[in-house]
Amino acid sequence: MRSHVKLSAVVAAGLVAALAGCGGSTGPSTGSGGGGGTNTAASGDCSSAEVFCVGLVTDVGKVDDKGFNQAAWEGVEQVKGELGAQTKFVETTDPKDYAKNIKQFTDAKYDVIVTVGFLMGDATRAAGKQYPNTKFIGFDQFQADPVVPNVTGLIFHEDQAGYAAGYLAGLMTKSNKIGVVLGQEIPPTQAYAAGYENGAKAANPSVTVSKVYHPAGNTAFNDPVWGAGEAKKMLAQGADFIFGAGGNTGNGALQEAAKTAGAGDKIFCIGVDLDQWDTLPAAHPCLITSAEKHEKDGIGELLKQIKSNTIKPGNFFGTAGISAFHDFDSKVPADVKTKVADIVKKLEDGSQATGYKAG
Amino acid sequence: MEWLKRNQVAAGSIVVLLVAAFIFHAVNENVATSMFKGAWFFAVPLVLGALTGVVGERSGVVNIGIEGQMLVAAFAAFFSAAASGSLVVGILVGMAAGIVMGAFLALTTVKGLMDQIIAGVVINIVATGLTSFFYRPGKVLSSNMPQWDIPLLSQIPLIGDVFFQTGPIALFALLSVPVVHFALFRTRWGLRTRSIGEYPSAADTAGIDVIRMRLVNVTIGGIFAGAAGAFLSMEATAGFERGMTAGRGFLALAILIFGGWRPLRVFAAALFFGFTNALASQLQGVINIPQQFITLLPYLLTLVVLAVAAGRVRAPGAVGQPFVKGEGS
Repeated sequence: MRSHVKLSAVVAAGLVAALAGCGGSTGPSTGSGGGGGTNTAASGDCSSAEVFCVGLVTDVGKVDDKGFNQAAWEGVEQVKGELGAQTKFVETTDPKDYAKNIKQFTDAKYDVIVTVGFLMGDATRAAGKQYPNTKFIGFDQFQADPVVPNVTGLIFHEDQAGYAAGYLAGLMTKSNKIGVVLGQEIPPTQAYAAGYENGAKAANPSVTVSKVYHPAGNTAFNDPVWGAGEAKKMLAQGADFIFGAGGNTGNGALQEAAKTAGAGDKIFCIGVDLDQWDTLPAAHPCLITSAEKHEKDGIGELLKQIKSNTIKPGNFFGTAGISAFHDFDSKVPADVKTKVADIVKKLEDGSQATGYKAG
Repeated sequence: MEWLKRNQVAAGSIVVLLVAAFIFHAVNENVATSMFKGAWFFAVPLVLGALTGVVGERSGVVNIGIEGQMLVAAFAAFFSAAASGSLVVGILVGMAAGIVMGAFLALTTVKGLMDQIIAGVVINIVATGLTSFFYRPGKVLSSNMPQWDIPLLSQIPLIGDVFFQTGPIALFALLSVPVVHFALFRTRWGLRTRSIGEYPSAADTAGIDVIRMRLVNVTIGGIFAGAAGAFLSMEATAGFERGMTAGRGFLALAILIFGGWRPLRVFAAALFFGFTNALASQLQGVINIPQQFITLLPYLLTLVVLAVAAGRVRAPGAVGQPFVKGEGS
């Protein structure tokens, strides 16, 4: 009897872990969250040629997730007025619903459908083939050959953002030790890490970079406590810059740096993906900048191209760099600012390589 | 002295490990200190979570809902602290949340005779759902958790750095271990608790109110999981995130078994696991083998220690079995 109980305990525990895993990343269903809010008001008929309709399907998560869903939606909203667009979003709560959620918009004859996240890539391409008259923007979705003519992938060079951030850290570090705390080891995080390391070494050859990836797969981007622990360890070993690149895991590292004595004077931290000054107030004491993919601008740019009918299938590379210094503006020396701005420009026009090779 | 004779292996390994730690410390003070600090930082929620398990399972109630208890407590602690502007309120509310969840487990399983595993599963699912639904982004704590240097003790080399330059909840965890150990093995309450967990009908015959005692123990035991939750959202980080326990409740369960349902061994097991984790992340990028192999290290080492050194551990006899007065077991 006892062994039976124990076995069932283990099975149940595993089951719960699995359940909790998917439960944790889902939220309450469509549109009940705050933030942008669904806006169906003033709804014209999307099937008519005059009405320009843009629909957005989030990856699992909400449009106020402080991450890429939010950035994508803000990008849509940013150009809404200029393009006279009618916009609406659907929040995905389960990866199984990707196709169904896209279909909500194709059924309503939307002109453009933005799908967010690498994981929705297949569903987006399938829908693109099925509805050749609808334009699709696949956010973070690399389009391999053969491309679908009406699907454009919006992607970014994470290594460039990482390089710019590393360059800044390399110029400013006093201890010649800097660290980066990452989520799961996948191509985007590898790109950030490689760019950061190479950028720092280009600015300061004597710098040492410690980097650490989260070991577990399923919670790798949502384990702030682990991120905090790793940051604590790096700081204790003398690092004075912490780059947190891994969703909530990275945010934990930033918060830890923000709590450390000397934060903002001797200890600095760097956010990731978007300007985290706006999204992570707890990191303000140390957040000198963020390695930023200009996601909003990328979405806006592509929507304008669709409106003017100049969009091309395949991949569109958005720009990447670092965010504003905000309260740290006075603490960054003028010559550092000049050098970093120069590097960002060179990265953008392609004259400065980051040393990162995909794959 | 008698204890030393009976526990030669344990005492011996403690001495060996301490010596090894201090040699490491002498070789590279910075790295050693930061790694042991990292180990304890990792171990705090595991120790606290496992103590909830110790108290519950020693009384005969399996608790696989520790994960859920921690999550709800992390949620309650952070948001009440953010709303009230007081860290003390946050910690107390977190502990209270752990107790409330413990009371739920106690009432359903001890009073309601619900299957204990199912009750635990319910706690975990409900915790995930509730905390995700009521989560609101953008809240911050009004101030950071204080860091205390305990007078004198924090001056001890290595040990002072690791254990006595500490936040309040980590200190609570450190103190709870010997207190629970003493209570469990040296007090009347402990003897009774162990007896209702081993052989409830005998305890019943001896005049112990098994039902009442299980109710109280499982409920009060929640205080540790509550503290663990508060540690996660307030002391280790400064914010609640959905699912932020990230499996620590289940790890605590494993530590509980690894530690043989004894608080001091649980403490050692959690520290060991924490240290292997610190070691794994320290070795990333240093040793040039795929990262996945290095991250296997904590689990591999734990397996080896379990197989070689820990020997057979035995669960409390009546764990998992509901007690119905007069029916025996």
